[in-house]
Amino acid sequence: MGYVSARGGLDAIRAAERLVRRLRLTSESSWLEEDQILEKLRLLVDRVMGEAGLWAPRLAAKALRQSEGDATEAVHLLRAYRSTLPRFAYSEPADADDVSVERRIVPAFQRVPGSQLLGRSVDYTARFLERQSDDLAREEAEKLRSEASGTPDDERSEAHADGDTPQRSPQRLLEMLREMDLVVDRRRADDPEPFDITRTPARPPAARSALLSSMTRADTGALVNQWYRNILGPDGYLHEVTLGEVRHGAIDVEVRHPVTGLPVCVSSVRVTEVEAIEDLEGVDEDRTKFDVGYGLCFGHNERKAIAMANLDIACHRDAGRTQLEQSLLLTTDALDSAGFLEHLKLPHYVTFRSMIERKFAMRKARNRDAS
Amino acid sequence: MTTEVEYGRYPVARLAVPEWMLKVERLGRVYGPFDDAVIASTGPEVGSSKSALNGAVVAAWDVSFEVAAGEALGLVGESGSGKTTVLRCLAGDVAPSRGEARLRTAAGDVSMFELDPSARRRLRIDTLAVVYQDPAEGLKLNISAGGNIAEPLTAAGWRNFGNIRNRASELLTRTEVPINRMDDLVRGFSGGMKQRVQIAKALANSPSVVLFDEPTTGLDASVAAGVLDLIRSLLEEHRIAAIVVSHDFAVIEMLTSRCLVMQHGRVVENALTDQLLEDPHHPYTQRLVAAARS
Amino acid sequence: MLLDDLINPTQSDELLDEFAKREIRRAMLAAVAIPGYQVPFGSREMPVARGWGSGGLQITLAVVHDDDVVKVIDQGDDDGVNAVNLRRLVTTSTGADQTSVAAEASVIQSRHRIPEDGLDEESILVLQVPVPEPLRGVERDMRELARMHAEADYSRMWVSLYEDKVRNGVITQTTGYPCLVNERYVVATTPIPRWDIPRLHESPFLTLFGAGREKRIYAIPPRTKVEPLTFDDVPFEVEDADGASCAMCKSSDAFLVSLPNSDVWMCSDTDWCRRTREANA
Repeated sequence: MGYVSARGGLDAIRAAERLVRRLRLTSESSWLEEDQILEKLRLLVDRVMGEAGLWAPRLAAKALRQSEGDATEAVHLLRAYRSTLPRFAYSEPADADDVSVERRIVPAFQRVPGSQLLGRSVDYTARFLERQSDDLAREEAEKLRSEASGTPDDERSEAHADGDTPQRSPQRLLEMLREMDLVVDRRRADDPEPFDITRTPARPPAARSALLSSMTRADTGALVNQWYRNILGPDGYLHEVTLGEVRHGAIDVEVRHPVTGLPVCVSSVRVTEVEAIEDLEGVDEDRTKFDVGYGLCFGHNERKAIAMANLDIACHRDAGRTQLEQSLLLTTDALDSAGFLEHLKLPHYVTFRSMIERKFAMRKARNRDAS
Repeated sequence: MTTEVEYGRYPVARLAVPEWMLKVERLGRVYGPFDDAVIASTGPEVGSSKSALNGAVVAAWDVSFEVAAGEALGLVGESGSGKTTVLRCLAGDVAPSRGEARLRTAAGDVSMFELDPSARRRLRIDTLAVVYQDPAEGLKLNISAGGNIAEPLTAAGWRNFGNIRNRASELLTRTEVPINRMDDLVRGFSGGMKQRVQIAKALANSPSVVLFDEPTTGLDASVAAGVLDLIRSLLEEHRIAAIVVSHDFAVIEMLTSRCLVMQHGRVVENALTDQLLEDPHHPYTQRLVAAARS
Repeated sequence: MLLDDLINPTQSDELLDEFAKREIRRAMLAAVAIPGYQVPFGSREMPVARGWGSGGLQITLAVVHDDDVVKVIDQGDDDGVNAVNLRRLVTTSTGADQTSVAAEASVIQSRHRIPEDGLDEESILVLQVPVPEPLRGVERDMRELARMHAEADYSRMWVSLYEDKVRNGVITQTTGYPCLVNERYVVATTPIPRWDIPRLHESPFLTLFGAGREKRIYAIPPRTKVEPLTFDDVPFEVEDADGASCAMCKSSDAFLVSLPNSDVWMCSDTDWCRRTREANA
C-alpha cells in the first residue's frame, strides 16, 4: 500500500519533544541563570511581561529560557500558565501620579517643573556595535563597579538635562495645560469600570478602557506597525502628536485584604507612561484646544507606550469612521496573529480535497455550457 | 376619491389630494445645537442657512408636503438649499432633527422617523426605494447588474435562482440595459447605463415610493434625456409616489406635476410645476426660472 | 469549593481554572438556547496555540468528566499529530478515557470532519473553529456584521451565491459551507467538507463549535434544522468522487481523499476505514 499520510502519532511527537529538550538542556555553554536573563536581557523580559499581560519577572525569565529567546513563545507560555490559576482579587485603582520616575522627558517644552530626567537610555548614544573582547569588557566592568561604589547616584547627577533637581513625582504637563485651559475635557462617566479584555472579548464599538487594555497587551511590533501604517500607509491618516510626557518608573499595586478590607501592597511594577498632545483641527472639534492620548504598558517599553498614546487619540478622533478601532482591538495580539499564521502548518488535506473537487466541478459546468 | 387633472404638456399627473402615500410634516434637520433663536437667525430673509449665533447649520426647516400614488413631486433649488437633506432624511440616511414622515403601507400607516433602524431598513427593501445621483451609492460596482438586482429580491425572500434571473432580466429589459450585459460587473458600465441599473434595482420589489436624487446630473445631455424619458414612462406605468430632487428645472418640468422650491433650508414656494414655470411668485423662484429659460 | 482547592487543585495538570470552566459552560448554555448564535466568551490561552484547537479544547475541558470517553481527530484521523497532542492534553488533565471508535466516545473533538458513523443522542461533537464568522467574505466591519446577524439580513450572502453561480456555473464554496440554523442564524460550519453537512441536519447529537482565537462559542442542539444556503432550484452538492472507493476498505460511501495526481483514494476517517476492513475480513 503506497499511501502514508503525513502523520506522526504519539511516538513522533515525543521524539520531537525529546529533541528540543535535549538540545536545549545539553548545549555546550553554561546554564543560563534566571538572574542573567533578568539583568542582561531586562528589556526583553519587560516586553514579554507586557505582551503577556502578567507582571512576573522570574516566570518571564523562565519562559524566555524555555522558549530559547522566542518572545512570542514566551508570552504564550506565560499566558497559558496564567489560565490555570484562579483570580482571587482585583487591584485597587493606582494613581499614575504615584509613579516614582526613573526617567522622564517632556519634548513639548525645553524646561519643565520637575525637570527632564534622561535616566537609563541609549536614545542619545551613537549606535556603534561594541566589538571589544570579552576579557576587555570584563575589565571595564570591574573598573565601573569600583567607581560606582561610594559615588552618588550617577544616574541622577549626570542625566537630567537642565540645572533643576529632578523630582521623583513631578507634576505632569497635562495638568499645567489644563490650568492654562488648553485641553478639552474628555473625562467621561460612561466607562466607570475598566473593561476586562481577558473575560469579555472587546469588539467595536468598545469602551476606551477596552481599547487601552488591548493596546497595553498588544504585540509591540504590531502596535508600532499600526502606528506607522497610519502615518504612511494607504488607508489611514494619523497626526504625529507632540509628546507631553514619557515616563518610566515604579508604582505599588494594592489589593484589599479579604479579612481586614484594607488595601495591602502586593507588588511593585514598573511601567512606561506616555501622554501625547494632539492638535485639534476637525470641523466639529474645539480648535482652540488640545486633546490628549494616553499610553501605559508594563516595563520599560517606550516604543509601545508612544504608539499606544498616539493611537488612542487617533481612534477617539476617528470616531468609527474607519475601521481603526477594529484593527487595534482585533489584529494586534501577538498570540492571535502568530497562532493563526502558524496553524497553516497543520494538515489541510480535507479542505484541499474539497477545493480540488470544486475546480473539476467548475470545469464540468463550463464544458456543459460550451457544448 | 381621486380627482384626475391634466397639467400642462404632460398628462402624467393625477392629483389625489386625500390619498397621500407619503406625508411629511415640519421636517427639519440642523447640524449643531439649536433653539428658536438659532432657527430664526437663518433662512432666506437672512440669506444663509448658517446661524451667526453659534455656527449651527439649519440644512432644512419646516418642510411639509404630501405625495400621492402616481404623483411626482419636485424639490428644486440650488445646491445647499436643503433639498437633498430632505431626501436623505426620508431615505433614512440622515436622522432628522424634527418632524414627521408618514408612509402608507399595506399594513397601515407608519411614522417613519419613529421606526427603529432595523424596521427602517426593511422599508427600504420593498416600500421605499432611492435612486442616488452617484451610482456607487446605490449599487455595488464589483457585482454584476443581475447581482445588484438580486440583492433587494433576496432581501425580500426570493430563493429561486431561475425566478431571480427572470425578474432581473425583465427589469433590465424594461430599463433598456442590453440583456447581454446582465452578468457583467457594473463597474465597467457607462454612467447612463449604471443609472439605468440603479433604477431597475430600485423597482425590483415594486416600491410604492421612489426618491430620485439628481438622477441625471453628471450625465451627458443626450444620455440624460434618455434616462429622463425612462423615468417618466416608469412613473406612468406604476402608480409610484415619486420625489424628484434636482437643481435643474428641465428635469422638474419633465417629471413632476407639483414642486417645492427651497432656499437656505426653507420652502419658499409650493405650486403646480407648470404654474411655477409660467408665473413664479417668489423672487428666488423667478431668478431660478429666468436662469433656466435663458 | 475551598480556596485551598483552587490554589492547589487535586489534578496537577489542570489547564483551566474552575472559574473559567464555569464561564465556558455558561456560554455553552447560551449557545444551546440560541442555536447558531455566536456567544462571546472570555477565551483563555491554552497550552496549544490559537488556531490549533484552543477553542475546541476549552469546550472539551469544560464538558468532560472522569467517566467520559473522548475521541480526538484531525482531518478524520485519530493519529494526526495535533489530534494526538490534544487527546493527550485532555486525557492527562481530566482523567477521561480515550477511544478511536466514535460509537464508544461520549465527547468527540474534531478538526475539519464529522466521523462517518457512531454519533448518537449520547454524543457531544466539539468542532474546532478557525473562523466563526460566515459573513466575513461579504463584510469586514464587525459593527455591520453584528447588525446583519441581529436583523437576519443575509441578502448579501445570497448575492454572493448568485454571483458565484452566474460566474462559475456552480456554487464554488468548498468546505465550511454556510448554513441556516433553526431558520434564524447563518453559521460557518468550521471547515468540514460539504459531505458532512447533511449530517448536521436534525442530528441526534449536540454539536458545539469553539473558536478560541475569535472568542466565540456556538451550538447546534440535537434535532435542529440545518439548511445549507442554496437556491431552491440549485441543489446543494457534496464532494463528488466519481464513484471511487477506498483503496483499503473499498468504501465508496465515505468521504475520500486522494494522492496527488493518482486514482488512489483513501477514507479520511481512519477509524471507520479500519473497522470496515475488519468487518470485511
